[in-house]
Amino acid sequence: MSDGRHREGLKAARLLMVLSSVSPLFILWAIRGNKLIPDGYFLAFCAVMVVVPNGFLWLRMRTARKLDERRELVVGSAEDHRDHLLVYLFAMLLPFYASDLGTWRDTAGVLAALGFIVFLFWHLNMHYMNLLFAIFGYRVFTISPATADTNPFSGKSILVLITRRVSLVPDEHVVAYRLSDTVYFEDDK
Amino acid sequence: MKIDFNLNSVAATEFGVGRDDSPEQTFRLVPVDDDVQVALREMAGATRTAMDTMTGDSPKYEPSERYESCEYVYLPLDDELAKQLRLLHEAKNIPVDTAALADSSEIFCYFARITDKQGRRLTALRRATQFKGVLKSRLIRLATDALRMIEDKVFKLDNDFDLLIDASNVHILRPSGFEFVGKLQDAVLAAAPANVKAIQHDLQFVDFSAVEQYVGKHPRAARYLASIRSQKAAKSIDKRALKEQCKATGVEIREEKGKIIVDEHQVMGFLEVLDRRRYEVELVKDSPERFRAVGRRKLQR
Repeated sequence: MSDGRHREGLKAARLLMVLSSVSPLFILWAIRGNKLIPDGYFLAFCAVMVVVPNGFLWLRMRTARKLDERRELVVGSAEDHRDHLLVYLFAMLLPFYASDLGTWRDTAGVLAALGFIVFLFWHLNMHYMNLLFAIFGYRVFTISPATADTNPFSGKSILVLITRRVSLVPDEHVVAYRLSDTVYFEDDK
Repeated sequence: MKIDFNLNSVAATEFGVGRDDSPEQTFRLVPVDDDVQVALREMAGATRTAMDTMTGDSPKYEPSERYESCEYVYLPLDDELAKQLRLLHEAKNIPVDTAALADSSEIFCYFARITDKQGRRLTALRRATQFKGVLKSRLIRLATDALRMIEDKVFKLDNDFDLLIDASNVHILRPSGFEFVGKLQDAVLAAAPANVKAIQHDLQFVDFSAVEQYVGKHPRAARYLASIRSQKAAKSIDKRALKEQCKATGVEIREEKGKIIVDEHQVMGFLEVLDRRRYEVELVKDSPERFRAVGRRKLQR
């Protein structure tokens, strides 16, 4: 989703947003518990993995509002990506939940696999994949540039808009807060 | 001239820079905080105030005219000479690049894109002289009771913009800034063949082959051509009157098979005649004087 040669900013922020998107997994693991690690340590670890990234996501949204980091987005074409959440649920959450954490090697293997997934989510700018958005009634749209737009200065990247709108039409203008260079959040306050 | 935008009801203020990334220019947005956004809106307001305080109706920009450093002129956004700025104004979702300021020597302009609550857009743009220059100078600040060097990179915004663009027009406060950022020289040179063709259509009795060759290498001649075309100054010109005006102002032309031929060394003079820049006055009896006007404005009565 990057545009041309320039690099995507907010690297650490995007990593924490990815961790926020995998935080439901830690809730499930905390409920299930682990035979190898005492509950006190394991629950504390899971709590940190849930609270810190989501706290950061909340902080990022608050900062964007406070600094008035708004920009106008123009819709070329838009797709509602609720199905991405299903993919996320079935491809990541359930397999990881079902995996056996009975030995240290199993646990290490699962954590390594989780590391790969986090890296991929971070690298592919999929940090918008978050159950919290769905819980609060937001939809995730990908906004692609209009194919007929030959303006050399127009962005060619696909952008992500998190919004409560149910649909977006071509050429619609939306003013939204910037969470990262490619992910935007429309506040209805 | 009224600017179609409400600066008191703003929905979003974006900041960006233009970079000379070889081989082409690129424009990138850079995230800025609310203080910078306020400063950008104040700059746009100061620009509008400066335009409003200039007396009289603002004339249309002419590429052949020599302007003061600060002079309010306008150019319709759909004019071919405003192409570069039109593309910037109409660009959608300009990419964000937080590293765009890293190499400031490549930055040739900075701009603000402001959207009001009615969905109208204002693009305000400034040639990056101070923005670039301050980085090269040494800055100091008063810290406690002693002056200290500022170690961080510092970018200084100006007090106003060179031009504002709304939905219909480019409102120009500094024509030189417009010409630089709008790549006007390239635009007039590129448009020269089409301009020759259009003027040739109006002046069937003139052989433009020498003009066509000349303007390809001479930007000022190309500016005259662009001005003559945009003002529709060649329409309905009378052949006899043209010949008399050339004679009166010392432009040598000849006629072959009913067509006026202009030699290469007379092209500038001929274009000045067409652009109403070469004239003769005779205030002293029997002592006609010839002048070339660097700037001129048509009187309405």
